[in-house]
Order: sequence, then C-alpha cells, then structure tokens
Amino acid sequence: MTELVEFSLGALVLLPLLAAAVVMLIGHTARRVLGVVTAVVTAGFTVPVVATVADGDAPELVLGGFTAPLGITLRGDGLAAVFLAGTALIAVVLTVFAALVPAATGEHLTPSGWRPGHPGFWPLWLGCWAGLNGVYVSGDLFNLYVGLELVGLTAVALVALGGRKSWDPALRYLFIAVLGSLLFLTGVGLLAAVTGTLDIAQARAVLEEVEDPTAGLLALSLMTVGLGMKIALVPMHRWLVPAHSAAPAVVSPILSGLVIKAGLVILLRVWLWAVPLVAEAIWLAWLLGALGAIAVLVGSVLALRQDRLKPLVAYSTIAQIGYWFLAFPLLVTEHDDAGAAPGAYSAIVALAVGHMVAKGGLFAAAGYLKLRFGTDEIARLRGAGAQYPALILAMGACAVGLIGLPVSLGFAGKWQLATAAVGAQQWWVVVVIAAGTLLAAGYLLRGIAPLLLQAPQESDHQLPDTGDETAPAAAGSKTRAEGAGELLILLLGVATIGTGFLGSWIYDLLGVGLW
Amino acid sequence: MLELGFDAITWYLVISTAVLMFGMVRLLLVRDLVARLVALDVTGLGVLLMLVALAARSSDETGAQAAETGAAGPDAVLQALVITGLVIAVAFTGLGAVLIRRIEGAKDTEGSDSGEESPSTAGERDRDD
Repeated sequence: MTELVEFSLGALVLLPLLAAAVVMLIGHTARRVLGVVTAVVTAGFTVPVVATVADGDAPELVLGGFTAPLGITLRGDGLAAVFLAGTALIAVVLTVFAALVPAATGEHLTPSGWRPGHPGFWPLWLGCWAGLNGVYVSGDLFNLYVGLELVGLTAVALVALGGRKSWDPALRYLFIAVLGSLLFLTGVGLLAAVTGTLDIAQARAVLEEVEDPTAGLLALSLMTVGLGMKIALVPMHRWLVPAHSAAPAVVSPILSGLVIKAGLVILLRVWLWAVPLVAEAIWLAWLLGALGAIAVLVGSVLALRQDRLKPLVAYSTIAQIGYWFLAFPLLVTEHDDAGAAPGAYSAIVALAVGHMVAKGGLFAAAGYLKLRFGTDEIARLRGAGAQYPALILAMGACAVGLIGLPVSLGFAGKWQLATAAVGAQQWWVVVVIAAGTLLAAGYLLRGIAPLLLQAPQESDHQLPDTGDETAPAAAGSKTRAEGAGELLILLLGVATIGTGFLGSWIYDLLGVGLW
Repeated sequence: MLELGFDAITWYLVISTAVLMFGMVRLLLVRDLVARLVALDVTGLGVLLMLVALAARSSDETGAQAAETGAAGPDAVLQALVITGLVIAVAFTGLGAVLIRRIEGAKDTEGSDSGEESPSTAGERDRDD
C-alpha cells in the first residue's frame, strides 16, 4: 500500500508532464483521446494519496533517494490532499468538456482564415496540471518555484490561444506573472542564504533558532508581494479581468478555478510552514486583511457595473480572492491560542475549494454561452435560458456556492471565517462578509436573471450581423457532443452543492501534517 | 566610495539591488512592449545576480554549513536556483517575444499573414466533430 501511495505521489506530477510531451507528437484527434485518458488516470492516482491522508498519515516520497537539501521531496499532507482532490474533479470535467467541444479551446489561424479549436491546448493544459500537482505536493521551496513558473507560463500561453484579441491581455499577464515569480525567487534565495536549505521543514527548524528575524521577514514580505501579484490581490488585480475574459471558453475556468489557487497554496505553505515569524509578521497580516476587505467590496461593486457576462464573472473572482486574505489577520493573531487559527485556516481552504468548483462551473457556462451566441453581452443573451435549461440550472447552482448560501463550501467557509472573527472579536470581518454576500447576490442575479426572462418579441435594437427573429440566436443547432458538454457543466453545478456536505471532512483532513 | 568598507560581495549585492529596482521601475512605467520585455529581463538579471552574490557570501560566512552539505565552493543550492532561473528567463523571454511579434504583426497588417503559427498547429485535420 505504501509503495502504491508513493508511486501515486510521483505519478501525479510526472504523468501529466509526460503526457504533455507525448501529446505534442500526435495528431489532433488522438490528442483529445490521450488527454482524456491522462486526465482519468491522473485523477485515479489522486485516490490512494487522499485515502492515506484521510487515514491520518502524511506520505512522503524522496525522489531518487537523494535527501534534502539537494534532493527533491514530495509530501502529501492535508492541504495537498484537499487541493489534489478538488483539482482532479475540475480537471477531469474540463478535459472531457474540451474533448467534446473543441471550439472551446480557442481558435487558430489556417491559410483559409481563423478556425475554431486550438490543438495547442492539450500539451499546455497537461503541463499546467503537472505544475499544479507539483505545487500541491512539493516539500521544498525550489520545487514550489519551478511549479509556480510552469503553471504561470502555461497559463499565459493558454490565454493566448483565444486568437488576436487575447494576445494583449496574455502579454500583460506574462509581465505581471513573471515579475511576481521573480520577487518570489528573491525571497526564496534570501531564505536559502539564511538557512542553507530549501527544504520547508529544515528551513523552519533553522529559522526558529535564528534570533534576528529581519532576513526572514524580508523574505516573507517579498514572497507575499510576489504571490499577491500572481493571485491578483486588489492593488495588483488589473491584469486578471482582461486575461480571464479574453481566454477561450475552457481556459477561463482553468485560470480562475485552478491557476490562482496555486499561488494561494504556496502562500499558505510559506506563511504556515516555512517561515515561523508569526509575531513579527502581524503588520503584514493586517495589511493583507485590509486589502482583502477592499478586494471584497471593490470587486463586488465593479462586478455589479459590468454589462458583459465574462468580465462580470472575472470581477467576482477578484471579490472572492478578497475573502481568503480577509482571514489572514485571524490566522496569525490567534496562532498561539491554537483554537481559532485552524478555524481561519480551514475557512481559507474551504472558501478556495468552494470557489474552485463554483467558478469553474460558472466560467465554463459563461464561456459556452459566448461560444454559442458569439457574444457575452448580458442584454443580448436575454432569453437564452429557454434553449439551455441545463446550463442555467448549473449557473444557478454555482451562484449558490459563490454567494455562500447553504449547502455549499462557500457557506461552510464563510461560516468558519465568521466564527473565527467573532472568537477574535474582529467584528469588522463579519460586516465585510455580510456586505460581500449581499453584493454577490446582486451581481450574480444581475448576470443570470436576464437569461431566464422572456426574449423580446421584436428585436428593435439588434445589430444587423445577428439577423435573428427571437433575440438570441445560437449559431447553428447543437450537436450531441455539445449537449453532453452542457451536462458536464451541470455536473460542476451539482458538485458545488454536493461538496458543501464535505465541510467537516475537509476540516479533519486539513489537520493531517499541520505545521 | 570603496572607503565605506564594503567588501566585493556587498558591492555585488548593492549593484544587483540597483539593477533590480531600475528594471522594475522601467517595467511599470514604460508603454512600449519590447522595452517592457527588456526591462523584465533586466529585473530577472538583477535577481539572479543577487542570488549569485548571496551564494558566494553564504559560503564565506557559514563555512561549517557548506562543509556539512558537501559543497566546497559557493552554496550549491543557491547556484541551482540561479541555473533554473536562467532557463525560465529564456522561456519567458521567448514567449513574450512571440506574443509581441504577433501583436505588432496584427497591428501592422490586419491581415491573416501575421507572424507564424505555433508549430503545434501544423497539420489541420480536426474538423470531424
């Protein structure tokens, strides 16, 4: 059993990477088949790791027998298991969706013009998945950095698959993502210079004995700013909306659901595992908390003002990112109390995983609608619900998760966060949560409700290029594969509700291998 | 300025910080895309220079630790970071250059002959749905 678990731990990273290399060499239809097979097998490897962690063990794999500081160690603890499982779910659904609806993977240029579908999606997406899994299970800062870069660069290339309109946002994303990881690398270098090791556990042990916290604090600040850029915390959020809305239909949910979570996982690893400078870092935690509060409010208000569906969903991501940082002051100030800190920590993870599933579904639905109707302007999508009932149902279920209504992980996370805030007597956190929840209900209702309304009978203000009798006209009838794709999005909606029942299981799982 | 009492490694650290800051400021202020990419490269070089200097310093100061890890010269861990950083710098510069070329090409021609396609889109026989 242990051998299987150790093998799975390595395979989770190496299998998608290998498949990404192989998939570049084969034809376009074969890419879709191999992509789906890889996704299912990789998700299968997640099972033994998560099962072992659920039993209370934290499996570890020392690659090639070289031990730290020079060797590579993979660790599967509670945090890794939760994110591995969530990622496997989203990744399998989105991979099958991309295989069924190739047009969702972007568009590519041929001698006869732009054609839907981009075969470059497959190697990039599998490489991105390998990077994500690498970030989750990595036991040292060096591999965290490599995984972060792999995820970042493939994500930029994935955005660029969306054709000419997506190149400018992709380049902007590249600048910010690389600058962020350079700052992170500087922090890693400082830590390594102080401690002489890159292994997270060893670095922590050395840092606990160093009296002068300045170097550790500087490293922590640099890494936090760099990761803040990659996660799009509020003053550094401007790149996210164009990149996530210009990306192809199946890439937006990958970016919003998975890629920014890689930054969050690394941030948690650094704050809770690598750098035990809790007392000295309180001001930084409060700064993050304040920025998080601003993100929740500003992101929600900006989402309310959008006229198009994909930017609306993208601004909602900025607001949701705010909740994770809102919990940071609680995480640190209550650290030595041992009571409230796990509450704030599991609140962050529950909110992040809930967001992963719900935003994956919502962005996939929004992208699919844009694909079918050629536009994502909410006014012109009026009445689309009549043709796509399953899609609208999925969007409703995802909205439940994003607003934080019971039963969903969004609700469980907000509940734990509010409980931790009351325990620490930080009432302003509760106020921000309440305001953010109300605003979220507002902007999601504004985005989804028009789809359910009766389509206007006479199309008086329609642009000539649609030329339709009932306002939103889908481009051609949908094939059977696309119908199955809709059901997959509905599956994500159902999962948004279903994972809500796992709140306490996740709380127990997170306790395994805690700092 | 040498009478400040800095040794060579400290000078390298100061220079690398200056390079890093210049690159970052330029990156955030300039609009031209190629200039931004170069500024990003300069920032990256500043970071790598700093890591090399730190590697040399930590082998100076903590000789005991270096002996423990079996590294005789400068800190091997930090040098491994630098090499990886170089590889990644090449990767992002290439990706950025391709994107800039496509953006500028599309602006110049507005036709379908803007830049080359990525190699992965060579044979196109994927239209059977």
